[in-house]
Amino acid sequence: MMERDETVVILGEDVGFYGGNYRVTEGLYAKYGEKRVIDTPIAENSIVGNAIGMALGGLRPVAEIMTVNFILIAMDQIVNQMAKLRYMSGGKIELPMVVRTPQGVSKQLAAQHSQSLERFFTSVPGLITMVASDATAAYYGLKKAIELDDPVIFLEHELLYPMKMEIQKRESFDPFRADIVKEGKDITVVSYLKMLHDTLKAVPVIEKELDVSVEVINLHSLNPLDMETIANSVKKTKRFVIVTEEPKTGSFAAEVVSKVSEELFYHLDAPPLRICGEDVPTPYNRKLELLSIPTPEKIAQQIVYWGREHGI
Amino acid sequence: MEYKVVMPQLTDTMEEGKIVRWLKKEGEIVKKDEPLVEIESDKAVMEVPSMKEGVLVKILAEEGEELPVGAPIAVIETEVEKAQTIPKKVEEKPARKEEKKEEIKIPQKKPEKKEALPEGTASPSAKKTAAQLGVNIKKLQEEGKLPVPAHEKDIKSYFYSRFFTKSALQLLQRYGLSPEEVYQSVKKDRIDKKAVEKYIKEKNIPEISAPSDIQRILIKNLSKSTQIPVYHITHPFDVKYLLEKKDYTLTTYLIKVFGDVMYNYPGVRTIYKEGSFYTYPTSNISVAIAVDNELFNPTIKNVEDKTLKEIYEKLQELKEKAKNRNLSVEDIQGATFSISNLGMYGIKQFDAVIPPFHSGIAGIGAAVDGIITVTFTFDHRVINGAQAAMFVMDIEKRLNDSNYLKSLR
Repeated sequence: MMERDETVVILGEDVGFYGGNYRVTEGLYAKYGEKRVIDTPIAENSIVGNAIGMALGGLRPVAEIMTVNFILIAMDQIVNQMAKLRYMSGGKIELPMVVRTPQGVSKQLAAQHSQSLERFFTSVPGLITMVASDATAAYYGLKKAIELDDPVIFLEHELLYPMKMEIQKRESFDPFRADIVKEGKDITVVSYLKMLHDTLKAVPVIEKELDVSVEVINLHSLNPLDMETIANSVKKTKRFVIVTEEPKTGSFAAEVVSKVSEELFYHLDAPPLRICGEDVPTPYNRKLELLSIPTPEKIAQQIVYWGREHGI
Repeated sequence: MEYKVVMPQLTDTMEEGKIVRWLKKEGEIVKKDEPLVEIESDKAVMEVPSMKEGVLVKILAEEGEELPVGAPIAVIETEVEKAQTIPKKVEEKPARKEEKKEEIKIPQKKPEKKEALPEGTASPSAKKTAAQLGVNIKKLQEEGKLPVPAHEKDIKSYFYSRFFTKSALQLLQRYGLSPEEVYQSVKKDRIDKKAVEKYIKEKNIPEISAPSDIQRILIKNLSKSTQIPVYHITHPFDVKYLLEKKDYTLTTYLIKVFGDVMYNYPGVRTIYKEGSFYTYPTSNISVAIAVDNELFNPTIKNVEDKTLKEIYEKLQELKEKAKNRNLSVEDIQGATFSISNLGMYGIKQFDAVIPPFHSGIAGIGAAVDGIITVTFTFDHRVINGAQAAMFVMDIEKRLNDSNYLKSLR
């Protein structure tokens, strides 16, 4: 992208000389220099504010916030400027910008560094919220996010960085179309980011225990949401599950379940199921930390119990 | 100082009072104990005197209004000078009871045709299915014929067992038919296998089945074979002598003879693959063996070095292996020429399709008066007509050479 389009610039804490806290921007500083790969002070509100200014001025900034936990400082710029300027200018102002940030429970980083906050972004009108659940989505999805003329919050996951994955060659990649990563006919499971991988680990167990076949849908975009793919799947399977890492109360998962209940009520043969994190600040103790979020074992167990209870 | 006049309690049972008449106008001076207003209680109409001296600056309750006891009805300014400074204005009367109701209008929607959902405890999709199939969930749950809550599969399995026999359901499954659809069409209280068979015949419904793995490979290979430019040579052979010999089957003899002749014809030991010719050093002949709907092409190798007995035994072994579907990769590799015999079925003459990576195939028909008609199919890319003709004539020579045939063991 940076090669093709010289208006693409990167800014964030340690994205330049150090190569990014998670090594995402490694090598770009050497290649494109300090004018296009900009190290910023530790001031999230100004990082996003600067990016908004750059976007207004005709650049395509990609701002990195080191982790989603620190984006709260920048919420004023994100919610009051980034999400609204296009609307408040009657469409005259475009904001071709991306704010990238990893989220989620890593390993023992404690409550203030382990949050999943997609609910905050997906509930703001005017923001596009995308996620990168695998290498394919990270590569094509980020490209699309940068190409879009609207502001995008681009969520990644701290534990997906070290995972080895292949990028599947795609002729065309539509970030607003969900992928069916596994076909099935009895249960629809929607997930994204790390929970998608945990779900896929749980699926063989579920299929064996319940003697069913599970369809797994991977979302690339949380808002807008590809309800069409979800609806087609639920019409076939009649059962809906969503697995997310965020705390359950008021979660993004709740929003999806609401949509499913509203639009697909008469297709459902079982109540929709949310498998989410617990409503607690993530504990530091590793055992408690694992107890506070879904794991492959928990996902399998909850879906199996739920299936048995509701007529599978 | 402002003093609020309130609705007085005139009797011990009075809860509301009605203003009948104001005896003073706004702006007039009122003396203490001077009659101020006429009020109708639950029993009578009474004059109510003023409790204070001052200017009546505001009347809050109009004549005819009913108000609860304690509700303010007027304001008296006790300081007369101050009252003069209050500008007289036409006040909006608060506490007006006449609220203008905003009517909510709902535009008429075209009613969608929807089946009424049956009563009972069941999932939404179970109810929808029950409505379509006319299943009374509540009644059946009371009778204990459906679980509580009921799910879609319960409704369906009840419906199936209620209207279909077991064998009918098996038949439906075999033809991939939906019982619901069949029921809509047949509309009988009990649908048995016969009724389903009748339905299948009437609607001319094919049974769809997937090819086995072996069939799939065969289909793929045969489709490839159609791309080979081929020609046919048909020739009768006199095999009376061989038919009289009862020691080995005709096929065994033919494999031996073909193999011996092949040894002298490199063209028949050659296949064409991806732009190159591959010429093999020995006579390897594959034999078409049919097992049920599947076809195998196992190979007998080094035919020129084998005795009739060895060929015969190998043939039996390959047939056995094909029947049990345990031919090894080694068994099906390396042939450059193939033999297919339909003579045992009484077929007199036929063309065979060249299996992939063969130079040709011989289709052998039934013997008529000791004469068999063999049709050779050759890959023209590998072997041309003249060579093929010489190959065929050499086979004839050998079959007519009783010394050679006698020498075979």
